[in-house]
Amino acid sequence: MNQPVPSLIHRSPKTLFPYLFTALFLLAFIDSWRRAGIEPMVLFAAKGRGNVWKFLSGMFPPDLSWNFLSLMFRPTLETIQISFLGTLIAVIIGFPLGLLGTHTLMVRGILNEAELQGVPVRRSLRYAIYFLARGVLSLFRSIPEFVWAFMFVRAVGLGPFPGVLAIGVAYGGMLGKVYSEIFEGVNDRPLEALQSLGANKLQIFFYGWFPQALPNFVSYTLYRWECAVRASAILGLVGAGGLGQQIEISMRMFNFNEVLTLLMILFLMVAGVDYLSARVRAML
Amino acid sequence: MNDLQQQYRLEEVRKVFGRHQIALDGIDLNVQRGEKLALIGPSGAGKTTLFRLLNCTLRPTTGKLWLDDCDVESLHGKRLRAMRRQIGTIYQQHNLVQRLKVVHNVLAGQLGRWSTPRSLMSLAKPADLGLAHKALEQVGIADKIFERTDELSGGQQQRVAIARVLVQDPEVILADEPVSSVDPTLASTIVRLLIDISESTRKTLIVSLHSVDLALAYFPRVIGISHGSITFDLSPDKISEAMLEGLYAGNDREQPATEAVNEPASPIAYPSIS
Ligand SMILES: Nc1ncnc2c1ncn2[C@@H]1O[C@H](COP(=O)(O)OP(=O)(O)O)[C@@H](O)[C@H]1O
Ligand SMILES: [Mg+2]
Repeated sequence: MNQPVPSLIHRSPKTLFPYLFTALFLLAFIDSWRRAGIEPMVLFAAKGRGNVWKFLSGMFPPDLSWNFLSLMFRPTLETIQISFLGTLIAVIIGFPLGLLGTHTLMVRGILNEAELQGVPVRRSLRYAIYFLARGVLSLFRSIPEFVWAFMFVRAVGLGPFPGVLAIGVAYGGMLGKVYSEIFEGVNDRPLEALQSLGANKLQIFFYGWFPQALPNFVSYTLYRWECAVRASAILGLVGAGGLGQQIEISMRMFNFNEVLTLLMILFLMVAGVDYLSARVRAML
Repeated sequence: MNDLQQQYRLEEVRKVFGRHQIALDGIDLNVQRGEKLALIGPSGAGKTTLFRLLNCTLRPTTGKLWLDDCDVESLHGKRLRAMRRQIGTIYQQHNLVQRLKVVHNVLAGQLGRWSTPRSLMSLAKPADLGLAHKALEQVGIADKIFERTDELSGGQQQRVAIARVLVQDPEVILADEPVSSVDPTLASTIVRLLIDISESTRKTLIVSLHSVDLALAYFPRVIGISHGSITFDLSPDKISEAMLEGLYAGNDREQPATEAVNEPASPIAYPSIS
């Protein structure tokens, strides 16, 4: 009775999974390494070394002249505005879609047992909405933000606005997915209790779900804002305004000392958002 | 039969999870309005599942459940929520929203009556402080009203849960092992508090208890459940030691509360309701 237990466990198909997974991971790693043409030594070969040196030495000293800095004031502000508004739109898109894409709110678990048992029509409808929401979220985030920016530049013209829209849509897809995972991860006992005293789904959400999810919700949203600051630099390359456009211009002119200044400004902004985020989280 | 007096009627109720996990295996049960009864039985017997059926969180797989002469199978949406509002449940633990202030957890008892906008606004500014205060006073922790719930002890949290039921003011109070996470002295205090509430407002009270002694000492009707079936349904003086042995056969019987029953009143006084 005591002895055969371990062997039974090993024979069960379920426990094969970790080995299979490890093998697949190793295969994928080796294959990707080969195909991606990764050759670390090239970085240190004579030609590469020369270019790296040219780029790095061109960066120093960074251009900190008042002349240049004062010109960068507006683009910096613009980047903050793009990232802020973009993240706001992303929350507005991601929050409702994330809710509709939350498994435990829509289709399964203790909050749906009584409501959906024996009513196949209602159940199918719920599943349809759920899959639609998840599908839209996947679509929004699978298209890279610079492609969105490219499309929006065509649609609404050059400037910060297409950047805002691009971040709003692409990040809306990411936020929605993560929100739904945060909502699924909360303790469902308090939710069951709220349901049992006659609360509707929205009331359960605001009294049970959201308070529990709040710290993760806020910290992930702020993290996305931080990413949006960086992303707005890339979006500048396709004409969506902000610091990115300045980086692109300076690179094209081989003014690497200006590039370094711009990167420093970017770094300060990211660090600033990070600091803000830490303060907010400490408050919760 | 006087149907108006009937709170619950269960006929051949079965609950099967998945394909084979039989949690309840044919329960027949009648509960009159205002009755007080205790459920006992080993863990895994199906007590929690039965409570979830009684408060309309789950539906029977087969069989019939009438509540107030209403077949719960026909209830959906608004009418289902209206029925749930008439049933207040107290859980073993972890049933309060830890990050909310006590006042919001207590006022949550009003959610079945409040509109959604009203309940949202109450989170910003408590809509009925007086009501919350009165309920907390009845359970003896009025001073904790603005504290965050996770700062309270287990026993205090259980009082908050009772205060929430007081605010909800249902017809039926269900309590699923309400005292198994608090110490024995506090356990009998809380059980007596529940009985007090039930008697003074004529509410039906159904409590499942880990401690056989508490059940036998305080309840006029005690039901034993094992393996999803009712093994006895008697007044405590008719329950023999052999029946209890049979009920817990093959299981460890929890016996922490023998001395608690004879304990004098708990140090924490509570004013009773009238
Ligand atoms: N949601 C569920 N899914 C599957 N099985 C369950 C579920 N809830 C309870 N059970 C099973 O039903 C049986 C009765 O459980 P429960 O009602 O919690 O008993 P008790 O409260 O008396 O300890 C147990 O065997 C348990 O594993
Ligand atoms: Mg249980």
